[in-house]
This record gives sequence, C-alpha cells and structure tokens, in this order.
Amino acid sequence: MEEPLGLASPGDTYSLRPAFRHRFRSSIVKECIHAILKENLANVQYNPEETPQLTRSLSDAIKDRLKEEGFHRYKMVVQVVIGEQRGEGVNMAARCFWDADTDNYAQDVFMNDSLFCVVAAFGCFYY
Amino acid sequence: MVDYKGYVHKDQDKDRGEAKERKGERERFKSSERDRDKLRETERGKDHREREREKFKEKIQEKDAEKEKHITRKDKEKGSEKEKDRKYRRDDQKQMLKQNNLRTHGEKDKEQHRRRESKDQLEQANVRDEVKERRHTERKVKEGKKSERKNSVGEFLTMKDEGSGHRHKSHRDQELNKDRERSQRDKREHQHLVRAGKERPSKQRSHELFVKDGEEKCVSRRPKEGFSTEDRERQKRENNEKRQREENERKKRDLKNSEHNKQGKSLREEETSHQYERSTTDKRKSNEAEKKADTRQRQNPGDHVSTGKPMQRQKSEEELEIIDNYLTNYEDDFEDYEDDFDDDEEDNDNEDRDSEEKLREIPISKKSEIEEIQRAINAENERINIMPPKKMQKEHEKEPKMERQDSPARGSLCRMFMDFEAANQRQTNRNMASIQKKRSSELLRLIDLDFSVSFSLLDLPPVNEYDMYIRNFGKTNTKQAYVQCNEDNLERDVQTDEIETLEKWTQHPGDSVLVSGGPRRSNDVSIDVAVTPRIDSQRLTNFLRSACQVIAVLLEEDRGATQPRWNLRSRQTSLSISDSCFQLNTNLLFLHGRKVFCLHVSQVQRQALLSVHGLPEKPSVIQLDRKYIICVWNVWQPSSPQKVLVCEAEVTCCCFSPSKATLVFAGTMDGSLVVWDLREDSRMHLCMKLNETDWIFRAPTFSTDGVLSSLNHSCPVVAIESISTSIYKKQNYELSHLSSQEEMSGLSFQIASMDENGTLNLWVAVELQKVDLAGSQSDLGLIPGGKVKLVHSSTLQLNNSLFPKAILCLTTPQTLNIKFLPSNPNHFIVGTDVGVVSHGTRHDLRVLPKLFKPQQGGPRSVRANAVDFSPLGKPIFLVGCSDGSIRLHQMTSEHPLIQWNDSTNGQPVIALQWALTRPAVFFVLDASSSVYIWDLLENDLCPVAKQIIQSDKVMTMVVLGEPEKTNGLLGIALAKQSGIIDIQYVKKKWALPQSEESEKLQLLLQQFL
Repeated sequence: MEEPLGLASPGDTYSLRPAFRHRFRSSIVKECIHAILKENLANVQYNPEETPQLTRSLSDAIKDRLKEEGFHRYKMVVQVVIGEQRGEGVNMAARCFWDADTDNYAQDVFMNDSLFCVVAAFGCFYY
Repeated sequence: MVDYKGYVHKDQDKDRGEAKERKGERERFKSSERDRDKLRETERGKDHREREREKFKEKIQEKDAEKEKHITRKDKEKGSEKEKDRKYRRDDQKQMLKQNNLRTHGEKDKEQHRRRESKDQLEQANVRDEVKERRHTERKVKEGKKSERKNSVGEFLTMKDEGSGHRHKSHRDQELNKDRERSQRDKREHQHLVRAGKERPSKQRSHELFVKDGEEKCVSRRPKEGFSTEDRERQKRENNEKRQREENERKKRDLKNSEHNKQGKSLREEETSHQYERSTTDKRKSNEAEKKADTRQRQNPGDHVSTGKPMQRQKSEEELEIIDNYLTNYEDDFEDYEDDFDDDEEDNDNEDRDSEEKLREIPISKKSEIEEIQRAINAENERINIMPPKKMQKEHEKEPKMERQDSPARGSLCRMFMDFEAANQRQTNRNMASIQKKRSSELLRLIDLDFSVSFSLLDLPPVNEYDMYIRNFGKTNTKQAYVQCNEDNLERDVQTDEIETLEKWTQHPGDSVLVSGGPRRSNDVSIDVAVTPRIDSQRLTNFLRSACQVIAVLLEEDRGATQPRWNLRSRQTSLSISDSCFQLNTNLLFLHGRKVFCLHVSQVQRQALLSVHGLPEKPSVIQLDRKYIICVWNVWQPSSPQKVLVCEAEVTCCCFSPSKATLVFAGTMDGSLVVWDLREDSRMHLCMKLNETDWIFRAPTFSTDGVLSSLNHSCPVVAIESISTSIYKKQNYELSHLSSQEEMSGLSFQIASMDENGTLNLWVAVELQKVDLAGSQSDLGLIPGGKVKLVHSSTLQLNNSLFPKAILCLTTPQTLNIKFLPSNPNHFIVGTDVGVVSHGTRHDLRVLPKLFKPQQGGPRSVRANAVDFSPLGKPIFLVGCSDGSIRLHQMTSEHPLIQWNDSTNGQPVIALQWALTRPAVFFVLDASSSVYIWDLLENDLCPVAKQIIQSDKVMTMVVLGEPEKTNGLLGIALAKQSGIIDIQYVKKKWALPQSEESEKLQLLLQQFL
C-alpha cells in the first residue's frame, strides 16, 4: 500500500501558499467587479431576453479582468446573477468548502431601478 | 441491425425458455439410464444458476458499458492521442462493417449454404477433431473473456477509482499480468495466425443471422486486430509502459468478469446458437445437431466437473466472497482466476468450464443469498436501463452479438478489437485520474479544508406596499413626511342666526336737513360722507335773518306806499284830519278783551311799535290769562305782530333799545325791570298753536324782579327811557342815526327807570359773550340761554335834589314822567303832579332853571301828564297838564314861552307829541278822546284841527313818522279801549314840511319872549 509514494513523479512539487502579491484580495477584486458593473449596467433596463447573454458577457468580462490582475495559480469562478427589481425579497448566500488560508471570494451588488445584479467571484488556489 | 435488436430481446426471452425446453428434450433423449428427477433437479439448479449468472453477467456488462462510455468520454477530453487512435480504429471498423454488409447481402444465399456447410463442418469438426473442438471452445471462451474484458475494463476502472486499495492491487496486478500479457499476446498472434489460416472456413461456418452479424464484426475487426497489434507494437516500441500496464489490468479484470459471463454465456451461446440453427435450418438436421451439441455440452460440463473440481470449490468460495464484499474483494478473486487462466490459457478450457459447472453446483443455502444479491443487481440494472445512453445501447448491441458468436475464433478477434478501441482512452483517463488522485491525496495531507461561513451575497428585503406605491405613483426624489387628512376639520351646528349690524349716525342739533343717516352697507360710508353738504348754518341763518327783514320791510313799504290796505277797512273810521288809516290786527285769540295801556315807537326804527296789553276781561286762553302781553309790531306789516312778549307783572311802561330795536325793556307795577331779547331762538320759549298758527310767547330774558332788591324800585315804575350815549354828540339827526347803527354792535347804552317816588335808576344793558344754557349761578334774573342782562349803574333821588324845600315841605311831589334832552342826554326833565317840571342832570350837576313853572301861581295840584322835547334839536318842550293847559317851555327859562289854557275845554291832556316831520306841528289827545292838531306857524292861539273820536275811547296816542323821508307820511297810532290800534295818516298839509319852517318857528318863539 505504500507504493503510490514511490510512484509519484519527481516533478510533483506543490506550492502550498500563494505569493503575497498574487494573493486573492477581496478589495481589489471587488473594485474590478464594481467598475465593470458600473460600466456595463449603468442605464440598462431589465429585459428577460437579453439578460442571459448579459450575464454571460459580464461573467466573462469579469473573469478576464481578474486574470489580468495576475492571481497566479488561482482558479476563478465568477457567478453573475441578474434579476428584475419587482419589489420581491431576494436572499442569496454562498458557502464554500475550501482552504480558508488561500481561497477567498469577493462580491458586489449593483442595483438600479429595474434590475439588481449580484456578482460573486471565488478564487481557489491551485496548489 | 433492427432485426438483430429484435433478436436480442427474443433471445433473452427465448434463452431461458428454450433452454429449459431443450433441457427437457435432452432429458427425454439422453436421460434414459439416469435418474430423471435427480438429473432434473440438478439441471434445474444449474439452469437456475445459469440464469442468475447470466443476469448477473448482463448486468455487469451493462455496467461496464456504461462506465466505459463514461471513461471514454473522459478520455476524449484528456487524451487527444488516444482519441485519434480510437478514431482511426473506429473508422476502420466502420469501413469494414460496410464491406461486410455489402458482402453479406450479396452473398446471402451463399451464406445460407455456407452456414449449412459450416454447420456440417462444425459438427464434423466436433466429431472429428476433439483437439480442434477443444481449441475452438477454448478460443470461444477466450473470446468471451476478451469481449467481456472490454466491457469490464470500465467497471474495473471505476472500481479502482473508488478505492485507492484497488489501485495498489492493480499495480500489483500489472506486474503479474506482464507475463500474462505476454502470453496473451503470443496467444493472440497465434490466434491471428490460426485465423488467417482459417479465414475461409470460419466465414463459411457462420450460418445464422445473428452469427452473421457477429461475424461481420469479427471480420471487420480482423484487420483492426492486425492493426491494433501493430499499434501495440508501436506502443511497445515507444515503451509506453503505463498504458500497457493499464491495458493489462483491464484485461485481467476482463478475465475475471468473463469468468462469470463465461460460465453461463459460452454455454448458453452454444445452446442458443444451436437452437437457432435448429429453428432456421433443416429440422431433420437440427435434431442431429442438437443431439450433438447437447452431447458436446454435456461433455463439457462433465469435463469441467471432472477436471476443475478444486477450482470450482475455490470459485464457489470466491463467489461467496463476492456476495459478501463484492466491491472490495472482487478483484482478488479475479486475480486468482487470472492466475489460473494465465497458467493454462491454451489448455485449460475445460477447467474454465469446470469452474462454471462448479458454480452451478453451489449449495442451495448460498443460492438464496446470491439470489438476493442478484435481485438487487437486477433492480439496479433495470434502473440503469430506463435511460440508457446511446453509446451504451451500442455497446449493448455489440455485446450480445459477441456473446452469440459461434466461432470462438471470431469472437476472440472481436474482443481484441474492442479492447484496443477504448483502451487508450481509459488508459489516459486513468492516468490523469491517478495523477489527480495522487495529487489530491498528497495535498490533502498538507491542507486543511474547511467549510467557510456562509457568505450573504445579497439580501434584498421585499419592498413594502407603501414604497412600491411611492415608487410607482409618487414623485421622484420626494419623501412623504406625514399625512394630513383633514381630520380636524369639524363642523358643528349653530342655531343662532347671524346678527345683522348696520352703522348709522345722528347729530344734535342738526347741522342741516340731514340729521341722521348711515350707509346701507358698511362700505358705503365714504360715499355718504362725501355727499353730505357742508353748510355753515350760522352764517346762513344770519344772512336769512337780515335778508328776511329787508325783504319784509321792502314788501310792506311797497304795499303801504302804493296801496294801503286800510283804505277799505277804515272807511268808517277814517278821520277828518287824516288821509288814510289802518288798524293793526289785534283781532287775535290771545289779544281778545285786552286793553291797550301803552304804545311806544322806536326812535331809530320808526316802523317798530310796541303795544302793551292788559289782562283780559274774560278768560280766553288759560295759559296766558294771568300774563301781560307786549306785542312788537312792524307798522308795514299790520296783519300780525312780529313778536309776542309775555310778562307776569303788569307793565306800566316800555321802550326799545336806542340803537336798534332788538331789545325791549319794560317797567312793571311792582317796581321791577324786564328785558326781552328779540334775537333769542324761538325754541327757548313757549310755543302755542292758536287758530292753526304757531305763536311764540317770549318770556323775559332778564328780570330784576327779586334780584338786586336793595337797588330795585320799591314802587311802580312810571317811566323807562333808553339813553343813547352817542346821540347827543351828533347834532345832525341823520348822522346820529348812522352812528347809532354803528354802535349797535357795542350795546353800550344805559336805561333809565323812574318810579313814582322820584327814584331814578340807571342801568347798563350788558350783552354776555357766553351763553349758558344751563342757567347762570351769578345772574339769577337771567333766563337759561339768555345773553342780555341789566347791571345797575346809579340811583338818583329826584325828590331831594330837584324840588325846592318849599314844595317839599307841603307835600312830596309824585314824579310822572321823564324825558332826556335829545341833544344832551345828561339833562332830563321830570313831570310832576304839582304842576311843575323839574330839570335835572344825571350827574347831579346844578342847572338852571331848576324848575319849569306855569305862568301863574305857585305849586298846585296839577299833573303834568305829558312832556315832550322837540325832535328837531330845538331846546324847547311841551307840557300837557291835567287841567287842560298846554305850556311851551324853553330850557333856559323858568317860565313858559306861551301857555294855552282851555284849548281842550278843560279836558285833561292825556298825550301830547311833536310831529316828526314838521317842527311847528304837534298832536294833543285829551281825555274826551279828542285829537287836536296844532300848527304854530298857522295859528299860535288854538289848534288848527280837532277830531273827536266818539266810537271808542282812545287810551293813548303815539306819533309815527319818518323824518328822513319826504314822502309826507305822518301818522298817529291810537290805542282804543276796545283794544283796537288805529293808525291814522294825517293830511299832507300837516305832514309835508314847509320851507324855512324852523326859522319861522324861531321867530315866533322870539315873539313869545
């Protein structure tokens, strides 16, 4: 049963902690998200036909933007939810099973008269 | 393919049923010597077991297929190399399939024929060559093994994935299998060779449809097999040991699985194939074939039983283990088997079969357990079958085909091919998976994963209705602070009517006609005020008063001058001495029955006449019965008196104010003086309506009665005279008249009153500047609102000073009348009852002559009833005495210039007065009511005319006339006893002044001297 150790390839070394400058910092990510949301949703009215496309483009935009930020060895998960503002109550929550030392998330909400947009970006460190 | 599908189902159904049938047949045919029941029992058991195994096998296959599919999908993603490989292979396969199809369709008859042939050959072969047969079966078994292996690889992989333990084992297996692999490769090559050699016959041998399909596959795979070997060789060359190992593992596992399958499958395949043979081909032959097949079958089990008993035992034990711990120990079992297989791959077909047989003979006790498991597995299978993916179906289709392959050679070929198709995929998948696994396992030792706190990404509370409303309908950017809903706006009933108010004004005394008023509406005030005329009422009344007098006088003058009214009325009464006459209208209600005692004419306003009326004989008007009345007349307006004055006391004498006839003074019997102010407002006095005419009865303005008692007269006042201070300064009468008018405003004049006892009081008439309507505290005799009062100036006791002691010692003379010298008011003459007229001054100066005596005798009891100064300025005066004598005196002489006795026939002279227009004419009235006219220039011894008035007794007489005018109007007013006042205008010859009359008179007077 001890064989697997022996079989491990010699190249397999792991970095267990990200460099500090590459660390996933919520504040920075949140700013990114906020900027993108503000830019793209400023005067957008909710349209159920366009919203799926919008969420996709938004999530891509945010993901690309986050990649530019240089979070090395981070796997990014960007979740975008756009809903119509009709007075109903909405409660969204997330729970993660992760390594709290390295992984983090950032979240931002954009709201205007017709819609709300919740963006959650999770960064999981890839050891 | 469709047919085949149908077959699959049919086959599955038939499999058992026909197997049973067949067994039954078998029994009938073969079990003649043996105990049938027993056999059947065993058979049944076998069948049962077989069936179960079949099921199990199928299930596993399905599972494998499923998993394989899964893996392949994974592989696709991971290993592009493998994918290519597989694709290539698949393409080949497809091509082959087509070719085969074409071929098969084209050679259908041929095939039929071939089938028969092959069948025969097979049978022959079976019969002929046991070794060969064996080899076939063996190959078939192997094929089955391999075909299963293909499917089972997936399963294995999954199993391996499930537990790391498996993997370790697999590693071990890999080593073990290396040898096996080698041997298998050898075997395959061998088979290949064999097959190459047998290609024709094997093809011919495929009789039936399903077999054909399988054959097609086999055929199609054949070249691939070759390719795959090459491929493998290439791989070998590349020393891709890992993959090789993987494959070995898979194979091993396949073997293990195939053991299960093989047990029933191979057998059943044979059976079914036989059955089909029978059904499709000639029945006659089929019987034989069946028999042979059966025999062969039976032989095989028998062989298995005989040869593989220890194995069977082992295997059965393993089975139990599988039941107990299928997932974990399954592979171990396989290993054992693999070992077995490896050992005798070529030769130990029987052993395999034995093992199968062995399984059939598993004790019944364990059967039930197995059954349970199988049931569970079935259930699982069914579940999976419900939604089989396409790929799974494909494999599903393939598997039965392979299973039903008749020729073991072909089957082996197929399996080989299948193996290679998915192998790469699986291998890469497995590689990746293992790497991942390893990685994760290593990392997990170093890392602590934990559940984060749940993050709240968005908490958007529901908008309440109010906000919703405001958002939709409210104004933007506004917030509602509070609401006012007019709750405090209440209304209560009130039962009272509104009070109407109106503004009014009034004034007392009224300024004008408008004494009260007010706006209809409050906002009309200004208009009404503006409308009210601004009248200076004081000025207006002054103007009207003066204007009225002027107008009235003018009218009376016109009337009197041109058309005297008395012409008509006084026709009977007209006298011989007069041209015309008229009566003052005394026929008034309040004057009825009153005698006229006294008449007086104003010295300034000659038309103003006072008449004093005594008490009425019969009471007529109750209120005035006890009062004496003085009427103020304007002779030009004889119709009615101008004013009516009332007095409580009996009036004995009266006079006007000197300058203007605005004040009336009167002396009474009780010694008091009374003043009337004619300017007073009529409202201050009693007003009575008599005969539809309003009459104002004026009460005295001022009375000395009761006031100033020490100074007042103690006996009746016999004369009252006004003293004009200015008059004496002007010699010219006209001038004095003018001046008197000027003085009027000053009202500074004196009043002299003399009583019977010779007391002369001088009074000053004072006009008050301020009127006190409430009455004065100091001036007790003043009427409330009155303006004129009398102030006592001085008192003269004429008896002591004027009369000599000789006279006084005889008797106290009684004073009768007094006259002031017109040219010098300081001098006055007083008539007495002793026949002498005394001469006095106001300042008690001694003057000569002191007395004016008659011509003869001393003092005697003769009353000097009348004295009168000449009005034209001459210092002469006349005295009329009660003995009828008339004397003419001059101021400088004690004795008279001339004395006329008996002119009146001894009748006492009542009144005597100079004419106003002519200096030498005078009028005398005696007690017999005779009027005598004297003209000295005409006749200085006797009167020129005598008129006796017989109808009525004349009480008094007064001369009227205007010396200023030359119209020749000279009248005498005669007050009669009946109360009538007659005014007679004397004839022109006595009225009109003549030239140089005064000089003639002067000469005449000098003659007298």
